[in-house]
Amino acid sequence: MNGPRLKIFSIVFGVFYIVAFYFDLALFRYYPAVREFHWMRTDGIGVVILWYGWIATSALASAAIAFAVPGKMAERLWPGWVWIVPTAVVVVMLIYERRWFV
Amino acid sequence: MIVVLLILHGLLAVALLGAITHQALSVLAAPAAKSRWTFVTRFRSVNGPAYATPIVLLFSVTALGGALLYPQYRIDVRPALEDLQNSAANGVFEIKEHLVAIGLGLLPAYWLFWQQPLAANTAAPRRYLTWLLAFFVWWGFLAGHVLNNIKGLLP
Repeated sequence: MNGPRLKIFSIVFGVFYIVAFYFDLALFRYYPAVREFHWMRTDGIGVVILWYGWIATSALASAAIAFAVPGKMAERLWPGWVWIVPTAVVVVMLIYERRWFV
Repeated sequence: MIVVLLILHGLLAVALLGAITHQALSVLAAPAAKSRWTFVTRFRSVNGPAYATPIVLLFSVTALGGALLYPQYRIDVRPALEDLQNSAANGVFEIKEHLVAIGLGLLPAYWLFWQQPLAANTAAPRRYLTWLLAFFVWWGFLAGHVLNNIKGLLP
C-alpha cells in the first residue's frame, strides 16, 4: 500500500469499526470458555468476544476501499481528513458509550 | 503465564506512554528562544520522527498483549464487575477497547506523516494524529491500571 492509500485506510478504518460494532458485524466470534472461533453466533458455549471480529471486519473493509479508490483521487485527498474523521468517530463512540455511566 | 503476560503488557504500556507523551509534547508550538531550560522544555525537546516507528511497534505489540489477555478479563473480571453492578468500570474498559482498535487503524497514516523529510503541509495532521494517539494511550493505560487494581480501590 502506498502513501495515499495508507491515508485512506486510516480515514475509513474507524468508520467501519464503529459500524461493525453498532450493527454487530464481526467477521468471526471467539468463545473464550471453550477456546473456539466461530463464523456464526453459537449459543450455549459461554460468553462471546466480538472485538477481534470487529477489528478484522474493519481492517478488511478499509483495505478494500483503500485499494479500490483511484490513485489520483487518493493523492488529491486533503490530509486533514486523516485526523478529523477519526476524531468524529471517537466523539460518536463516547456519546454512545455514555449508556454505561447513567 | 497470565500474570507474566499481564506484567509484560504493563511494562510495554509504560514504554509506550513515555514515548507518545514525549512526542505529543514535542509537536507543541516551539518555546521562545530565550525561554528557561526547564524540565518541560527538556522533556519536549526530542527528535519526534525518531519516535514514530518505535511507537507504532509498541502500540501494536501492547495491543496484541491486551488481545491475548482479553479472554481472561471476559471470563473472570467482567462478570464479577457485573455482579457488583459496577457498570462504569465495564464502560471504561469498553471505551478502552474501542480506542485501541481505532488507534490501530490510525497507525498507518500516523507513521506516514512522521516520515522524513517532514512535509510542511502535514504539520497539523501530524500534530493532531499524535495527540489523538496520546489520548488513546493515556486512556488505555489509566483504565487498565484502575481495572487491574479495582479490588483494592473499591470500598
